[in-house]
Amino acid sequence: MRVIFSIAATTIGEAIRRRVLLVILLVGTLLLAIAPGLQVLSARQERTVLKSFMFGTMQLTSAAIAIILTVYLIPNEIDRRTIYTILCKPVRRWQFLVGKYVGAIGALGMMMALMTFISVILFYVMQRDAPVSELAGIGQVAVMYYVQMCILAAVSITLSTFVAPLVNFFLSGGLYLVGTLFTSVFETFEQNSKTPGLVKTIAHLVGSLLPNFSRFNIQNSAINSVQTIGSETRYYVESGVYGVMYIIATIIVGMLIFEKREV
Amino acid sequence: MWAALAVLFVGQAVWDRVLVEPTYVKNYMPANKAFSAGLSPEQFLFALSGFREMIAGILWVKADSFFETGNYDAILPVIRLVTWLDPHQIDVYATGMWHIGYNFTDEQSRSDRRYIPSAIALGKEGAENNPTTYEMFFETGWIWYHKVDDNYSQAVNWFKKANEREDMIPARRNLLSTALQRDGKIEEALENYYKLLDAAEARFKADSSDYQARSGRDTIEGNLDTMLVRMSQRGYWGSKSNWMNTIPYDTQPPFDVGFSVKVTVPEPRVIRFEGTWGVRPVGTRIRVILRDKDYPMAEPGGMKWDQGTAVNLDPPKDVTFMQDQLYVKNLRFDKTCNLAKDPTMYPFKKDDYEVEFYYNPRSSPPHIQDKFSWNGEGMTDKNFLNTEIRPGTRVMFHKIGLTRDMLLRRGQYSMSGGSLPTVMTTDYIDAGAKGTEDLIDIPSLRSQAPPTAK
Repeated sequence: MRVIFSIAATTIGEAIRRRVLLVILLVGTLLLAIAPGLQVLSARQERTVLKSFMFGTMQLTSAAIAIILTVYLIPNEIDRRTIYTILCKPVRRWQFLVGKYVGAIGALGMMMALMTFISVILFYVMQRDAPVSELAGIGQVAVMYYVQMCILAAVSITLSTFVAPLVNFFLSGGLYLVGTLFTSVFETFEQNSKTPGLVKTIAHLVGSLLPNFSRFNIQNSAINSVQTIGSETRYYVESGVYGVMYIIATIIVGMLIFEKREV
Repeated sequence: MWAALAVLFVGQAVWDRVLVEPTYVKNYMPANKAFSAGLSPEQFLFALSGFREMIAGILWVKADSFFETGNYDAILPVIRLVTWLDPHQIDVYATGMWHIGYNFTDEQSRSDRRYIPSAIALGKEGAENNPTTYEMFFETGWIWYHKVDDNYSQAVNWFKKANEREDMIPARRNLLSTALQRDGKIEEALENYYKLLDAAEARFKADSSDYQARSGRDTIEGNLDTMLVRMSQRGYWGSKSNWMNTIPYDTQPPFDVGFSVKVTVPEPRVIRFEGTWGVRPVGTRIRVILRDKDYPMAEPGGMKWDQGTAVNLDPPKDVTFMQDQLYVKNLRFDKTCNLAKDPTMYPFKKDDYEVEFYYNPRSSPPHIQDKFSWNGEGMTDKNFLNTEIRPGTRVMFHKIGLTRDMLLRRGQYSMSGGSLPTVMTTDYIDAGAKGTEDLIDIPSLRSQAPPTAK
């Protein structure tokens, strides 16, 4: 475990020094900072638009960071041949992969925490009459986004064990889009009585195998605060467990592939 | 290892489908149709990339500008799109159903009733998508209560559902009792008032300095008093105890309203309704409906207002349905409906039409109900009393037929030398005056002849 944490700590340090990530973070933060300006759009909808913009910015920025951070983690080590200096020590390949992953989600967590903090402060400044529960709602959404990004990072780092970074970037981005946006499309296929049986089965299989990122998009209830969700905490726990199961399964795939790869 | 991996993948899929998916679909998912219609490419991309609620908000802002410019048709697709993108924006549902139900009118401010089933369907959808708050249940009940203004059992059902929600505003809870009275459930209305009074008393006792709690309690107490007095005066208790023949209740004997009507078509698509109604106090509104004889889902005195869950924002343009009110003044009514300026609302494409005249005492104002009682026990009409079309209620109902030639003044009814299309009830009494004058005749002691000295 000590080995894994050492690698993770190094990875966090590297991530924080990477300019490209810092630029993305800066852009995201700037976007968050201009969010209050959107309030001129409407008196009635200002809270909705403000929150939605904040959540959208946070999600997009985090997804970009998660993908760009992880697609290069393993290939860079191989290209620079620094991996040899690590693997010649008593470090197993799976430990290296897991350490890299833990480091990546650690760095991601720090960056998302910063964006969440900025969002909460901005929202508090702009909406002083908002109840504390709404501020807490921003935190809840951020936590669920974080689990989502951890899955994305797991997918991306697993792909990085056998795919070139550029291909991985588009593959991971594509999977994220499909898993976030097309859930309802798969469900429509499955529920539509006119869909042929074979197509239904394929849609069911694909929908079950691909990561279901949309499960963590809970921002709607935070935006429409009048909406009360029954068993909300239970949902967070259940979707969290789903996320952890998917991450473990994906990382195991990565470990199996990385174990057999020639470096 | 591979076996463990397979178990994990199957496990996550089962876990997701069985435990996570049902809650997600119920509470967080946008409507499937949201991404398939109406968004411009950049809006589509934005909506896809996590800004769904923001796009919905901005679209709704756009709808505001349409409201201001009176471009009502443009608002309909926006309402649909916003509610698909974000099914939890309750004010969009509420404003949308009000807009659909009330704002589409002809040149004489008559609502286009063909939209009401869609307004109700939108309300139902809103309530289904937002089951934890009272608002959409209340708003849907209000459409039934105020706009349909006939099938009060629907209003009662929706208000009951709204009252079950914890966030229901106390002042709005009263409306259930009013709807129950209009639905003929008098004792249930009374019971509800008592229940509300108990709750209001408890609120007031908890904080006697709270002005709202005090006024809330006083209002319910006043409503309760009024209702008890009405129940006594209208003979509600008497009818239960067979005292009706021994005590001169206000509602006995039933009063003959003496309805008669003449319908003429002075110009193409212009219809005049003249007639009599023997109730002197102002406040009578007789519903008049002109529609295709084979109008789909027609019902006596209206139509089947609840037509399912489809929100059809483009009602059929080839059918005609006009509904209006004939206001009675000085014992008569005279109204001319000019339908010529709205050919899309009144296309007159069929050969045969029906005109219905309908009066339901349940919709009457209280001062008239004091004579007719809640269900029309104190009302009759020697020609047109009907106890069948609204079971449990004595209503006035009469139906006459018109043809397309009559309405468009063609053939034998042509404007150049043809006869004036006229249909009237057999006992129609020509009142002579228009009934639209400003002065209202109120018999008083002064206008009567002085008593003769004995």
